[in-house]
Amino acid sequence: MGSRQAAVKAGWKQAKPLISVSDRDCRTRALQLYKAWYRAFPEILRIQDLPVNLKQCREKLREEFHKNKNVTDLRVKDLLIVKGQQELQEFSKFWSQKSHMMMRFKETHNPQPQDFLSKFFSGHK
Amino acid sequence: MLRLPFSRGLPCVRVVWSAAVRGTASNPAPEKIEVFVDDKSVLVDPGTTVLQAAAMVGVEIPRFCYHERLSVAGNCRMCLVEVEKSPKPVAACAMPVMKGWRIKTNSEMTRRAREGVMEFLLVNHPLDCPICDQGGECDLQDQSMAFGSDRSRFTDIHHSGKRAVEDKDIGPLVKTIMTRCIHCTRCIRFASEVAGVDDLGTTGRGSDMQVGTYIEKMFLSELSGNIIDLCPVGALTSKPYSFTARPWETRKTESIDVLDAVGSNIIVSTRTGEVLRILPRLNEDINEEWLADKARFAYDGLKRQRLMTPMMRNKDGELVVVDWEDALIATASALSHAQPDEIAGIAGGLVDAEALVALKDLLNRLGSENLVTETIFPMEGSGTDFRTNYLANSTIAGIEEADLVLLVGTNPRFEAPLYNSRIRKSYLHNEQNVALLGPKINLTYDYEHLGDSASDLKKLVDGSHPFSAKLKAAKRPLIVLGSQQLARSDGAAILSHVQQLAKKLSSSAEPDWKILNVLHSNASQVAALDLGYKAGTAEIRQKPLKVVYLLGADEGTISPNDLASGGVVIYQGHHGDVGASMADIVLPGAAYTEKQGTYVNTEGRAQQTLVAVTPPGLAREDWKIIRALSELAGYKLPYDTLFEIRDRLDDIAPHLTRHGEVEEASFLDQSVELSKNIASSFDSSPIDVKQKHLEDFFMTDAISRASPTMAKCVQAVLKQKQSKYYEGEV
Repeated sequence: MGSRQAAVKAGWKQAKPLISVSDRDCRTRALQLYKAWYRAFPEILRIQDLPVNLKQCREKLREEFHKNKNVTDLRVKDLLIVKGQQELQEFSKFWSQKSHMMMRFKETHNPQPQDFLSKFFSGHK
Repeated sequence: MLRLPFSRGLPCVRVVWSAAVRGTASNPAPEKIEVFVDDKSVLVDPGTTVLQAAAMVGVEIPRFCYHERLSVAGNCRMCLVEVEKSPKPVAACAMPVMKGWRIKTNSEMTRRAREGVMEFLLVNHPLDCPICDQGGECDLQDQSMAFGSDRSRFTDIHHSGKRAVEDKDIGPLVKTIMTRCIHCTRCIRFASEVAGVDDLGTTGRGSDMQVGTYIEKMFLSELSGNIIDLCPVGALTSKPYSFTARPWETRKTESIDVLDAVGSNIIVSTRTGEVLRILPRLNEDINEEWLADKARFAYDGLKRQRLMTPMMRNKDGELVVVDWEDALIATASALSHAQPDEIAGIAGGLVDAEALVALKDLLNRLGSENLVTETIFPMEGSGTDFRTNYLANSTIAGIEEADLVLLVGTNPRFEAPLYNSRIRKSYLHNEQNVALLGPKINLTYDYEHLGDSASDLKKLVDGSHPFSAKLKAAKRPLIVLGSQQLARSDGAAILSHVQQLAKKLSSSAEPDWKILNVLHSNASQVAALDLGYKAGTAEIRQKPLKVVYLLGADEGTISPNDLASGGVVIYQGHHGDVGASMADIVLPGAAYTEKQGTYVNTEGRAQQTLVAVTPPGLAREDWKIIRALSELAGYKLPYDTLFEIRDRLDDIAPHLTRHGEVEEASFLDQSVELSKNIASSFDSSPIDVKQKHLEDFFMTDAISRASPTMAKCVQAVLKQKQSKYYEGEV
């Protein structure tokens, strides 16, 4: 175990960021992605029949970005940005569909019971 | 009885048995001889058969009649193999190897011999595999695919030639389709050697040979289900399971039987959330590969009389269905409105250790120490403080090493059939002698009857009994005390006398040989005593009880009349039996096939059941009910998962989480010292056992009482006893 941890640690030191060269660079990319999404929403709403309005979409966008506000690792941030870009492309080209967007809003989602008693009352968990 | 003449009659058999006997190191090990199996060299003891030698190098020779736990018959001829320089193929199961033999298990001659045997077998075997219950697990099917001829010479298109045999009626458990029989005689050998019931045999010769009971009668044995497993074809199949499922459709779960205290290992076959059948699982230390009929066939009791939803008694005195919330809140308020000493918990015989520890923790947190088991154990002297006092210390496999077994007030044949089959095995093969203090019963082997009064026990202790000399001469004596005797008013005196006898014998016995064994009759007792439950409800009945929590307690040891006025009886369990019918609040729990629970058998071996099906309706795992209740009562127990409650078990008694291992105990000397002050006055009533006859065996607990198959068995046995052909005590 010890040697494995050491190897991981060494890897951390040596690994170089692949896309962003600095935090500042990364921040620029994130902002660019945010703006791109912000501007894409009217078109997404035009081509898809979604039961949400522009304002709700933009609020959700802000919420999704805020979910990752505590990420500090540059490489992770880069990865998230790339995934965001991919997803943006999927939505603007209509590859992703209504349900994929509405998954983010989770209107019909019932949270699983977490504590012992509610698990007990809800079923064989 | 077949004891010695049988083994003398078959010279090769004796050799095989003596190789299987445990711990007989009287002669120095003879020189090994070298044989070659398919040109692979192997060194074997003299007397090893060809089949065993081949098994040592991993070559399995096909067989129908040979079974390693039965005597060798050598009549199916399927195991014929070629031996170099021998003109004829030899029957591998019966032929001892000679020095330098070269055995060819895959030569042209061997293969042709097998094909020929298979062809002869199939001449008279019906091709009804599509409607045969053995289909998919049939030795004949498998071996005809592997070793049979690839084409048929069968030309009888008018169906005139195949043998047809009338079916027999041997009881409600085993279905016979005797046309399918290939005369391997495994069932006959099992009946006479293991079960000790010489009912089965053959009539006729050649193609007229028939296996049967001569006159039509029931196969009166508590181990009859095993002949179903032994039958290599579909001649003997399970009646309750007939036309139910194919083996590839079912899901198998490895589990533990809880209907007696032996803890037999079982496989539970399930499909679509329903238990379809129960088969034995190999465990050399406990049940070998056998299973008692109650454990095998009582599973249909798991579907009847079940408690599916929580229930509460309304003001008209009827039990009505309620939600879990309502039931638990009512229970919690009853518990919190009573004074600590007015609350009692009573554990029944089928409860797992997890539920036991959860109930004990809850009641202790409420301030109550009134936790008892239904089954009585004397608390005088050292009581249950030493595990030695209440375990079968010499273990189940250890019976085979004993040279003398003294049974005190127990009928192991019906209290623990596989315990009894071990004694019978040792009686037959290890020259073990058996003596019985108690009523005269049929144990399937000969024993010396020492009387049936407690004063005979006293005589044994002070050495004035005629049998004392034999006891003293025994090097490895073993005393088995039935737990029923401990429920007598003089139970403490009986226990202390047995302890003193054990202590006395230990001076003449081999060092470190354990003598004292208590044979329990239910699966939860040892775990409950390990966890610190007191035994017996007599003490708590004296108290002004307001709330009684029955955890699967169905023996009716307490009644609502024992409670103060306005008292509440809470029943948690899986069957609507005695306990549920007198309860004010019913909480539905899970049966042993529906939960992952720890059980400790009578020898102190912790084992766990696994979940085969989900509990029906709103029923929940037992420890979770108590855990949920504790939260509503305001005394939250600190475990949410199975791992956490097992940690708690581990804190109290570490052996409860070491599944599969026996935790030994050895404080006999100390407990004998402590038991010296016990009054030794005996009752005048004779020592008696509850289960004397076969009909007493089948329905003993909530599950088997709910089982229609078990009820049919009782009916069939009683009917057989009316028959004019019925003879003797069974």
